[in-house]
Amino acid sequence: MTQRLVLLVGLVYGLLLLGLLTLKGGVIALAVPLVVYLGGALLYDPGKLRLSATRTLSAECVSPGKPVVVKVAITNHGSQLEELLVEDSLPTSLERVEGEARALTTLAPGETIELEYTLRGKRGSYSFGEVRVTASDALGLFRRHGRVSAAARLLILPEVQRLRPVAIRPPRTRDFPGPIPARQGGPGVNFFGVREYQLGDPLRWINWRVAARHTESLFTNEFEQERIADVGLILDARQQSDVLSPEGALFDHAIRATASLADVFLNAGNRVGLLIYGSGMERTFPGYGKVQRDRIMRALARARTGFNYALASLEYLPTRFFPARSQIVMISPLNPDDLQVLVRLRANGYQVMVISPDPIDFEAKSADFRVLAGRRRTLELATRIARAERRLLLRELQRVSIQIVDWQVTQPLDQVIRVSLGRLPQSRALGMAP
Amino acid sequence: MTARLLPITIGLATLVLAVGYAVGGGWTFSPILLAMGVLWWFGQRRNWNGLASVVLMGFVVAAAMGLWVGLPAGWMLVGVVAALSAWDLDHFARRLSSVERVEMRLALERLHLRRLISVDGLGLLLAGEALVIRYKFSFGVALFLGLVAVLGLSQLVGYLRRESD
Repeated sequence: MTQRLVLLVGLVYGLLLLGLLTLKGGVIALAVPLVVYLGGALLYDPGKLRLSATRTLSAECVSPGKPVVVKVAITNHGSQLEELLVEDSLPTSLERVEGEARALTTLAPGETIELEYTLRGKRGSYSFGEVRVTASDALGLFRRHGRVSAAARLLILPEVQRLRPVAIRPPRTRDFPGPIPARQGGPGVNFFGVREYQLGDPLRWINWRVAARHTESLFTNEFEQERIADVGLILDARQQSDVLSPEGALFDHAIRATASLADVFLNAGNRVGLLIYGSGMERTFPGYGKVQRDRIMRALARARTGFNYALASLEYLPTRFFPARSQIVMISPLNPDDLQVLVRLRANGYQVMVISPDPIDFEAKSADFRVLAGRRRTLELATRIARAERRLLLRELQRVSIQIVDWQVTQPLDQVIRVSLGRLPQSRALGMAP
Repeated sequence: MTARLLPITIGLATLVLAVGYAVGGGWTFSPILLAMGVLWWFGQRRNWNGLASVVLMGFVVAAAMGLWVGLPAGWMLVGVVAALSAWDLDHFARRLSSVERVEMRLALERLHLRRLISVDGLGLLLAGEALVIRYKFSFGVALFLGLVAVLGLSQLVGYLRRESD
């Protein structure tokens, strides 16, 4: 019952009682217009709602910031609805930039009303659910609420930063030609070694300088074969690895890095798989090309941090998900407990690279020093200790030939990768034991 | 259309009741009613929520008191009907302005006014009849009829509560 109905009924009761108490028929007569008003509203009560809705999106999968036009059509299959309020509930964190998601109208049987609005939002997977409808009589006294299903899903893909090719050297490559040195002699560009001449070798490959020193035989230059490789991306989505700040989450930077790396590895022709390790384990099985890129981007669009007691450490990382001796790229801010697991991965024969968004730098930059004015010195000391611990952890990882990209997220990832991998000693860059 | 009619109905309800009191000799109450009307108009312009219901209650009580003390019944009845219309239009205007987009506004307004005019006309007619036609019955019958009315209304309210969401 609406407040207006309560007021009217109260007034009618009051007038009847006052009329009876004062024995004045005129007072009771005053209640008549109110009763007629009530009766008129009751006569045109909207009754049972019979509505259907359809929702169409201009695109179901878009890049961040790109506008999406949503159209919701509601059709009346019942009797005349004198006043109908249609309200579409939008998923939070989507911004309406144009149009209205709410409209008031009158709807005759068979008629349709269409809501049209434009949305924009950040990376994520958004579900559109039901449309709320409120029908009332023309006088607005009796209301009937209902919900009409108009489900749809919108995926906003992560932002992809164009990276220059990232040099990787996994111990094992696949059979198809590609950009990765395969540690095997054969046709190629880079010099690999010298072997004894075999029948059929091109004459221009003969190493005359070596042959001159041996009177009995000839020697041929060998070049390193270049092939494609298996690359496994592991995104750390554990809640305890994430840092939140008013400007956003560190996890969003990790997502962007993963998307950019997937893009660059797939563009180079590699076979790429993705594992998102957080509240659960979401796997995108290894594959090639544009279809695989689309699969990975969709998985990253849906990715969110979460907590799971069983997966609190990387202990249960399903390493066999990735082919043996392949390249693993882990995108993680890193926890102290992760050291052993990464060392074990390396020991199992994987070539491991860690892209580590720096959580300490991210948190320190977003900390409000005005609020923490009284504890500034303590905070600075804590930051220094945390930085020292992190440096130690990264050094330990480098000692077992794990490639480390220590990424302060304010820096462009491409530049940081180039500087970090370029700075490594040759033996480590080639993935050999120190 | 609604925006233009609303101040007219507020003014009509206020003036009719104030004049009714003045005609019947209750001069002292006319300025109070006028002040209430001005407050309603001002509150409507300022979008004060809930004021319309309070003033409607005040106008109905004033009309009932007027009838009790023997003021002209026609003025009081017209005042109540006008106040009811103003209250209805006030809420309708609020409903329209609370939504960013109103589809078929003209049709919506026309439909609403048609319904309002019909219930106002019928209410005025029936109430006028009730004031003119006089039946004499004992207190017991009056009490019985009153109880029937109250019980009937209670049943109606109960039904509406069950029906409503």
